[in-house]
Order: sequence, then C-alpha cells, then structure tokens
Amino acid sequence: MRSKVTRREVLKAGLGAGVLALGPAAILTYGRGEQPIKIGDIDPLTGNYAAEGESQIRGAKLAVAEWNAKGGVLGRELELVIEDNASNAGQSALKASKLIDQDKVAMIIGTVSSAAALSVSQVAHQAGMIYMVTGGHTDPLTGTQCHWSTFRICTTTYMLAAGLAGTLYKNFGGKWYFLTPDYAFGHTLQSSYEAILKKLGGTNLGFSLSPLGTNDFSSYLIKAASTNPDVLINLTDGQDRINSLKQAAQFGLFKKFAIGGGLSELEVLRALPPEARVGWATLEWWWDQPNVPHVKEWVASYRKANPDGSYPSARTWFGYAGLHAVALGAARAKSLEPVKVARALEGMELPPEVKLQPHRVYFRAADHQLMSSEYPGEAIPNGTYPDQFKVSQVIAGDDVALPTSETGCKLDYPA
Amino acid sequence: MELLFFNAFNGLIQGVFYALMALGLALILSLNSVINMAHGGFLVIGGYLAFTLTPYLGFWGALVVGPLLAGVIGLAVEQTLIRKLYKRADPLYSLLLTFGLALIIQDLTRTIWGAQGLPAAVPEALDRPLSSTLFFITGYRVVIIEITVAAAAGLYLLLRYTLVGIRIRAGTRDLESVAALGVNIYKLRALNFAMGCFFAGLAGALASGILGLTPPMGDSLLMPSFVAVIVGGVGSLGGAVLGGLLIGVAAGITTTYYPAASEAVIYFIMLVVLVIRPRGLMGQESVFE
Repeated sequence: MRSKVTRREVLKAGLGAGVLALGPAAILTYGRGEQPIKIGDIDPLTGNYAAEGESQIRGAKLAVAEWNAKGGVLGRELELVIEDNASNAGQSALKASKLIDQDKVAMIIGTVSSAAALSVSQVAHQAGMIYMVTGGHTDPLTGTQCHWSTFRICTTTYMLAAGLAGTLYKNFGGKWYFLTPDYAFGHTLQSSYEAILKKLGGTNLGFSLSPLGTNDFSSYLIKAASTNPDVLINLTDGQDRINSLKQAAQFGLFKKFAIGGGLSELEVLRALPPEARVGWATLEWWWDQPNVPHVKEWVASYRKANPDGSYPSARTWFGYAGLHAVALGAARAKSLEPVKVARALEGMELPPEVKLQPHRVYFRAADHQLMSSEYPGEAIPNGTYPDQFKVSQVIAGDDVALPTSETGCKLDYPA
Repeated sequence: MELLFFNAFNGLIQGVFYALMALGLALILSLNSVINMAHGGFLVIGGYLAFTLTPYLGFWGALVVGPLLAGVIGLAVEQTLIRKLYKRADPLYSLLLTFGLALIIQDLTRTIWGAQGLPAAVPEALDRPLSSTLFFITGYRVVIIEITVAAAAGLYLLLRYTLVGIRIRAGTRDLESVAALGVNIYKLRALNFAMGCFFAGLAGALASGILGLTPPMGDSLLMPSFVAVIVGGVGSLGGAVLGGLLIGVAAGITTTYYPAASEAVIYFIMLVVLVIRPRGLMGQESVFE
C-alpha cells in the first residue's frame, strides 16, 4: 500500500523543478543592462469570462513579442505581468494595487467585465497610472467616470446598441423585451437600447435582470415569452449568453420571436450548439476581412503562436491593440511619465498593422475612447468554427459614438 | 396566474436537479462526515468525461460511463486523501482538503479541456418542447426527472434492503458500534464516497445538456445543493430530496414577483429553517442541535 517515495524526496524533486523553471529567465535577464518595462495585465483566467480573458492575454502577448523583436520600447524590452481577477470587481482593485505597489509596473491593461474595469480605473487613477481598458464596455468608463489616466480600446455600450438596434427594429418589429445581465455593462447597454427604441417609436415591454453567472435561464425565458415580444433583446455575454441561448433553443423560442441584440463573441459562437447559434448581434472585430490589409498576416501569426486550432477573436484584438497602444504612446512621448503618455495617446491614430479594420481608428482627445468599428451581423447556425458569423457591414466608430459633448466626460488632469 | 403556475412548475423541475446534487452530498456528509466542497468538482468531472466519451459510446452510454468514472476517481481520492482525515475529529481538515481539491479539479479541467465552454449536445429527439403552451417542459428535462427519480429510488432500495445499505445506515447512526461488530468501515466509507461522487457525476452529465460545459460550472450548482441538504436535514436522504424540491419551487415562485430575489430566497429559507428547526425539516437531532 505505502509508496516508497518519501515526502522529503518529493520536496527535493519539487525544488529541483522550480530551479529549472527559473533558470532560463534568470539567464536572460542577466547582462541585459536595462530592466524591462513591466506592463500589468489584469484579466479573468477563471470564472464567467475566462475564455474571453484568455483571448485578451494572447493578444497582448503577440504585441509584446512584436515590440521585443524590434528591440522594445525606449530601448527596453517589454514584460507582461498577468493577474487573474475572476471578473470580480473587488479582486480587480486588489490586483491593481499589487501590480502598482509590488511589481512596480509602468502601465496597466486589461479586464473583460465592466465592473472590474471601473474598479481598476479608479485604483490606477489614484496612483496616477495609465490604464488601458481592453474589454469593459460600460459607458461611464469614458463618460461620467472618465479619468485623464484611463483609455479604452473596446467600444462603448452606446456604440454597441447604436450599431445594431436599427437593424433589429427594421427586420423584426418594435416590441422589445430585455434580458439584461445585472451589473454595469448590462444596465448601460439596456438604457442605450431603450433610448434608441424610444427614438424609433417602439414599445418597451420590460426587462429581467439576471445576475452574472446565472446557470438556469428558464424562469427569465418564461417571463419574457409571456410578454409576446417581437424581439427578445438578449444583452448577456460570455457563459451567460451561451446558457440563455441554448435554453431558449430547447424551449423552441426562436420559432416564437426573434432573439438578438447585445454583444456576441467568437468564443460564444464556438460554444453554442447549431440550434442556438441563431440571431443578430454585434461583434467588434472579425478574423475574415479579405480586403483589409494586414489582417490575413496577423491571423496567420496568431495561429502560429497558438497552435491549438483557434482563431483570433475581437478579444484577441482588444489585447493586441491595447498593448500596442500603450507602447506606441510611450514611444511617441519618449517617456514613461504617465501624463506625457496620456497626452501622446490623445488623438493618436492606430497604424494599419495594428488597427486591422477598414475605417479610421483613433483615440478621441476629449474622452479617451478609441473610435473602433462595430461589426453587426447574423450568426450562421450550420457554420463550422470559425465560419460562424456573417458580418453585414462594418460601421465606423465615429458614426455610432455619442458626440463628446454628450458623454458627460470631463477629464481631470492634475493641475 | 398562468405565469405563477409556469414558474412554480419550472421551479419543481429545477428542484429535482438540486435534489440529485444534494443526494450525493448528503450521502458523503452522513457516513464519511466530510463536508465535500469538491462535490462541484466531481460534477464537472462527470460532465466532461461524458462529453468526451459521447462520440465513442453515444449519448446514453456516456451518461452511464461518465458518472461511473467520476465515482472511480472519487474512490481514488478517498483512498489517497480523504481516508487519512477520518481520525481527526475536527471537520475543518476535510473541509480545507476538499476546498483545495475543488480548486485543483477546476484548474485541471481548464488545463485539459480549455477555458472555452464546450457545446454538449442533447439527442435531437429530446431537444424540443413537448407542447407549444408548456414550452418549458422539454423532452430532455423530462428525462432528467425520470433519471433522478430512478436514481433516488435505486438508492432507497439499496439502503433499505441490501446488506451494504443497512450497514451504511447503521454507520450513519453509530459508526463505532458497526466497526465493533466486525464490519470493515473503511471499505464501507470508500464505497459510500464513490457512490456520492457517482451522483455528482450524473448531475454533471445531465446538466451539461442544458448549461454546456465550463470548468467553473460546479461552483454555482454547489451552493443550492448545500442549502437543500441543510433545509432538508443533515443526515436525511429524504430530507435532501425534499430540500431540493422546496428551494426549486420557492425560487420559481419568487421569480414571478421579484426576480432579483430569486437567488436570495433560498438562503432566506435556510435562515428560517436554521433558526426555527436547526436540524432541518427531516433531520435527526444532534447534528446541529
């Protein structure tokens, strides 16, 4: 019964393995002269948005590799310090403080959840550090709660709604019921949809708020069905979107009314069975853009770096563009001084090999929001990965964003 | 009114599922005296194994073999880790151990199958509602109810009429006397733990058809099951079933009137039960009193 290996031996073996793992890194650092520039990346590796978080980290890693191959930024290599926040706002604040105080990072990027992004934005602002939001969509981040130190890659909830609401109204009718995730992202996305619905003259039948991480959507779907909507506007994302769509399909609800709206992701489409891979939604980037320069090469380099059969998603691009943006900002400012980097980022246009989309993509100076495009379209039920979405058009960010006078953002630069 | 009926009925279906989870949990809690925080982990193992085996064994074959393998893994875990803790009277040790185990299982699942959700499919014949009005009663959900009822009945018969079952029940009451009578309680406990893990695996394999598979899926299903056990009564298997049904229906009814409270209501019920009747609705005295 008893094995012959003693605890002491196992410990020794473990120590040995640990030293081995440290070895190459230690050798590389030695003799380089300059310390690398550390960039903190806070993303969910666990929890509801783990798949999306992993994509964002992969994107950031690609960008780091590209910069380091060219000799780094300001003559120093880049080093990514990754922290898991499990999409939890409180944990995100702790991880941000840890990155700032302990790891002494120069800048922070990341997060999928809007609530997490808001909390990192606050901590980074207090420390006077640049924070590049890669994947949290809620309006206030570059609106009422904007900061001089916070910039954002992904589009706002208003832009998400504006890119799709008209199509849904025209194709399916104006009686809408909302299924909304109960946190910052869902709330602002719903109010954007409601504002647009009101302008169009449609009927708002009500809403159900589902907590983030809900497993069983049957009760919400029963309630939604009882209102007989033209469209069930499904604003959930990640695992919640997968579960709600899957259960709606099993209940045969796609035959009763249209289900669409909100944000979809390549990660979500991949995890859906064909019968639930139905309806209109918005993506924020798409891997298949044959006429846009550099996209094909970028997809190929992603697949070379990640040989697991996966394709880059909008999330991968967020992480990639986010890291490039802070690096470009520092290079342009010729400094890591946060205020100088922030000034350099204002109005900065992303070069074609980074933006990977047809329209002009730049950071608005007044609210630090990147004017990136929306890719509304329809899911393809019988499509095999990654051909699971048909993009109907690519709308320039400038055409769907609220004018800066209406976002409520007043930048708070230190005097 | 129709909405209320729908939601209560829907809650009952949900409750059946909680009951299945709670059964395994209650089994392990009563004889092994282990608060199995890793129960959600075994649920995930069962689900992923069934998914992986489906191409080879078909849906129904995988539904049997996946949970069985979860039981076998449970047995291995019991033999190597859990059994070392029986001698320590403080339940904190096993709580910490299984908590750590839950984290390890979740990360292992992520390493093996990836963080991305996997689309577990349901046989097409079951994947539709039985009637257009009662659209929430799908063939698959009926199958879940049937399997749960069969599993619970099987467990009842096993515990009531077989020698092993009688020993398990006796052991739940007074383990020392059972040991003194010459029963190998280590074997008994190992078998019992494996059985509990089998139930968790079965719940996981069934849940994957509705929820899809993700590494953390066990987390959110574990809490309602604990609540079901506490409400129903620690140590009582019938209580676990009753507790599961009760919180399912309560959550369903609450959704009709105040959806935001549908999660909180089950903890409220637990609170009331703990204050008024700490042993749970069908529990024996002495566990909490």
